[in-house]
Amino acid sequence: MIIEFELNGRLINTKIDPGKTLLEYLRSEELYSVKHGCDHGECGACSVLINDKAMNACLILMPMVEGKRVETIESFSDHKNLHDLQKLFLAEGAVQCGFCTPGMLAALEALKRENIEVSEENIRDSLNGNLCRCTGYVKPVEAALKSLSQMKNDGESS
Amino acid sequence: MRYYSPASLKEFFKISSQCPNGQKTFLAGGTDLMPCYEQGTPLPDHLIDLKHLRDLHSISVTENTLIIGALTTIQDLHDHPLIQGEFVALYQATHEFAGAQIRHRGTIGGNICNASPAGDLLPPLYAFDAQLILTGPQAERHLPIHEFILGPGKTALLENEILTSISLNRKRLRSQFQKVGLRQSMAISVVNLACTWEEDEDGFSMLEIAAGAVAPTVLILNAFTRAYLENPKKLPKLLQLIDEAIAPIDDIRATANYRRMVLKNLIWAFLTK
Repeated sequence: MIIEFELNGRLINTKIDPGKTLLEYLRSEELYSVKHGCDHGECGACSVLINDKAMNACLILMPMVEGKRVETIESFSDHKNLHDLQKLFLAEGAVQCGFCTPGMLAALEALKRENIEVSEENIRDSLNGNLCRCTGYVKPVEAALKSLSQMKNDGESS
Repeated sequence: MRYYSPASLKEFFKISSQCPNGQKTFLAGGTDLMPCYEQGTPLPDHLIDLKHLRDLHSISVTENTLIIGALTTIQDLHDHPLIQGEFVALYQATHEFAGAQIRHRGTIGGNICNASPAGDLLPPLYAFDAQLILTGPQAERHLPIHEFILGPGKTALLENEILTSISLNRKRLRSQFQKVGLRQSMAISVVNLACTWEEDEDGFSMLEIAAGAVAPTVLILNAFTRAYLENPKKLPKLLQLIDEAIAPIDDIRATANYRRMVLKNLIWAFLTK
């Protein structure tokens, strides 16, 4: 079957196997930020944004993205200018092996777009579908708190 | 596999009646079904995605009822002010439900029709006596949730029938949800529990307790609450009535005995706080 959707700002019109997951598709397109973790929607390493909401790419079959806007963190920066969240993750030491990081960034970007109050509780809620097995959660939460408060202040003063 | 995404109920019934029974599956958010496929359950010949049935996404409020479309996501339930205000136990269950990614996709209808003994929305829906509206090609019928869920994964849905909405009476009951899992997020409940009550200066005038993950379906602990309301001082002795009502099992998450202890402790703590 043929489907049409937006991927990282580009319109895609492609023939797909309806039994393939979005995770398999994205990795076959060399979007390797989307990690193949548990395959069960439990670890959050394959989180992407679909119409601004964080979702697990492993739980979504390709036909379900018809007409949707899909974003992976490849679209957040151009490799020279990192996204503010990425900069703060680096500065705060919130990355160790890095496997869970893209999923966390996708979840946090979704929180940012919700435009609700930035608080530690909201950040922890939005990260509770992302498992980390090395750095833990304290550093990512601190980095997110700094970065999102900063972005909010910048947004309000500009 | 063939994939369908009907945009209206009429189109859904047409497609569904053309796909042979036993070879088709209905899918809402997919958060329970997809892990089954990835664990090796073969994909069905016909997969009917219900997510585009626009009419089933809304929450509507009348003076006496709250009607929730079956495809409302867990996140949308969580964010609805009336649920937060009048159906606290349901709100609390959505707050503790899995993780953000799952809450954005999973639906209330899916949680009900999946009929897991541990489904987190189920104890609050039992405790609020939710009425389910089931729609078939010819007719619509209403069933209370405890008559709809028959066992793990088993419901009273007929062929080509779907759950279209859930109706809750706005009785302004006080309520509370509690869950014990092996970690705070993304963990299937070892025990979950919803209580609804009314109270006056003498104490409870009405009390209902719905317990999950301690039997094949959620149980309303009627015998226990009735005896407790008659004589609250006898609480230590009455806990035995809970033991008699439930039938927990040992599984990878916990033993049956642990479930018994946790449930009794939660109820004890709730009633003596």
